[in-house]
Amino acid sequence: MNKENFNPVQRFRLRETEERYRNPYFFLKILLLAFFLATPFLFRSFEILDVVLKIIIFSALVASYDIILGYTGIVSLGHVMYFGIGAYLVGIFVGKLGLVSYGYLALAVLIAVVISGILSVLIGFFSLRIRAIFFAMITLAFLEFISILSSQLRSITGGEDGISFKLPHILAIDYSFGRFLGIEVTGRIVSYYLILLVCLILFLLMLRFVQSPVGRVLQSIRDNEQRSIALGYKTYLFQVIASSFASCVAAVTGACFAIWVRYVSPDSSVSVSIMLDVLLMVIVGGMGTLYGGIFGAAFLVITRAFLPKLQTLIVSLLPGVPFAARLSERWLLYFGLLFILIVYFFPKGIVGTAQEMISRRKEE
Amino acid sequence: MSTQQKAWLPALAVIAVFLLPILFISPKTYITLTISGVAMGMLLFLVSSGFSLIFGFMSVLNMAHGALFAWGAYIGFSAFTVINKWTGWGASDSIFLNMMIFLLVLMVAGIGVALLGVVVERLVIRPVYGSHLFQIFITVGAMIVLEELIRMVWGPDDEVMPVPMNFIGSYDLFDVVVSKYPLIAIAVGSALYLIVFMILRRTRLGMIVRAGVENPEMVQVMGHNVYRYFTGVFAAGSALAAIGGGMWATFVKSIHPAMGGEVIVFALIVAIIGGLGSMTGSVVGALMVGLSYNYVAYLIPKAALGITMLLLVVILSIKPTGLFREGT
Repeated sequence: MNKENFNPVQRFRLRETEERYRNPYFFLKILLLAFFLATPFLFRSFEILDVVLKIIIFSALVASYDIILGYTGIVSLGHVMYFGIGAYLVGIFVGKLGLVSYGYLALAVLIAVVISGILSVLIGFFSLRIRAIFFAMITLAFLEFISILSSQLRSITGGEDGISFKLPHILAIDYSFGRFLGIEVTGRIVSYYLILLVCLILFLLMLRFVQSPVGRVLQSIRDNEQRSIALGYKTYLFQVIASSFASCVAAVTGACFAIWVRYVSPDSSVSVSIMLDVLLMVIVGGMGTLYGGIFGAAFLVITRAFLPKLQTLIVSLLPGVPFAARLSERWLLYFGLLFILIVYFFPKGIVGTAQEMISRRKEE
Repeated sequence: MSTQQKAWLPALAVIAVFLLPILFISPKTYITLTISGVAMGMLLFLVSSGFSLIFGFMSVLNMAHGALFAWGAYIGFSAFTVINKWTGWGASDSIFLNMMIFLLVLMVAGIGVALLGVVVERLVIRPVYGSHLFQIFITVGAMIVLEELIRMVWGPDDEVMPVPMNFIGSYDLFDVVVSKYPLIAIAVGSALYLIVFMILRRTRLGMIVRAGVENPEMVQVMGHNVYRYFTGVFAAGSALAAIGGGMWATFVKSIHPAMGGEVIVFALIVAIIGGLGSMTGSVVGALMVGLSYNYVAYLIPKAALGITMLLLVVILSIKPTGLFREGT
């Protein structure tokens, strides 16, 4: 092959592949993966394992959201509904219908993916045709609709109480493989690794998607829609593709979440407040980076997990000041303020700002 | 000619929605449901008109609108308690005094939230004009903050909204049960619609705003400080939302901090159905949603929200830009 005749995109990709293993980020990623792999052995407490796994799941969810938001440049406010669909189908299959077997679990995930794909294509065709801003409103309306549906259809979804269920065999909590490296390999650990594997595959898939020709068209639409139209791309078709891909991924992460917590309810898997969490994660991490999702998810999940402790700390530090207690109860307020401040001062988020600083230093 | 013909289509659609349920419902119930549907429509109109106008004029998708709505309800709640303690108008038998306190409360709520709207617009939204993405984020942030502030000021629990004496109960006209409050809501809502409509149609200010909905840059070029109008429109939209909030709270007789989130979705749907940036569209869309919701809630209670979504989907597939043009 003659490198001289490459077009800019091909040259860029060649450089990417050549530098893949020399890049310092590469080692960072390996390190992160190693940390995730070693977590069950490093920390014995279930609490920390729970936090780490939630970070993993939400990283994948946030990354899928980032494909819509950061790579395609359209705002969806209902991305969590696909997450909820994934979680609920697992809950309904395993918990409500009592089909406790691997085959049905896989079938539930498959159906969730298909439903999410169809739904997102339909929503995309309805709303993206005219104005990308419609998409935000209509997805929000659908999220609210599905959220209300999940709490009203008592016979199917268990209403507000949700469904708790037992998983088949290896994944069940009381299952044990025996001891390995000093820890008891229970169903929990097995499901931890299973979900880690699934999320890793999803993440690689998303990276591949973003760097594929379709992904590059999406970025061109984000950066300059008029120009992409002029170049002959049917932009809204590409936007629909991106949103349906992202929602399929979100459905799988939802199923993973249900498998991990063994419980689905409107509050825990399909509600506007989770959507707000995901939005905050994306903003903290930075849009258009995919990896930013990991930081955003880590930040929010960790804060959420340790907030109650922080609250008791504040209250014990300032006894007799009811106002302090009242202020510390309203931590969502600080999230909101953070939201606004980040959009003001770090519109690119943690990873985006870091990338910018590094590249600026390189230029100097 | 052709545009005039098309203008009839939405009207026909409304009439069709309006008359269809009489096939399934007895006429008396139908009248009761229609009145409460129109009342709900008027309340939705108050919320969505501000939302729609703000979007049309400033192209800001104001996610904080629901929180402003809830603020209106809470300020109304406090105002009612305070004024009623001073004057006792709320508990009086005279419907005139009842009406006075009700209007006074709505006014206080409207003015209070308009001021809040000015603050929100100046502090939060102004720095990010021009970027849709960041506007949505920042108004979502504002929504969270405003909702939490309600929790801090009034406490996180539900409160019972006090209702003037004569607003409770119903009239019995020829065996048709007509609740009192929906009639009042319809009257106040229609009056407000007329006021807003007249301001937009008959005054210079309204002309500038309507021009701004179509093309803000051009308004700026003509020598008007468009940012000042932005603040004004935002304040007016917030006031409408607040009045809607106060009236809604009186309707359902309870308030809670997250009440805005539930209503904002309706407002979104109404604004999309009617066409963003259109007042007439807002009122038509709100009536359609309110009526269909009430009829279906009576016939098949569980499908009530579903019919709203169906309405949205059907209208978007027929007319993707909504029923009415911007600025109408």
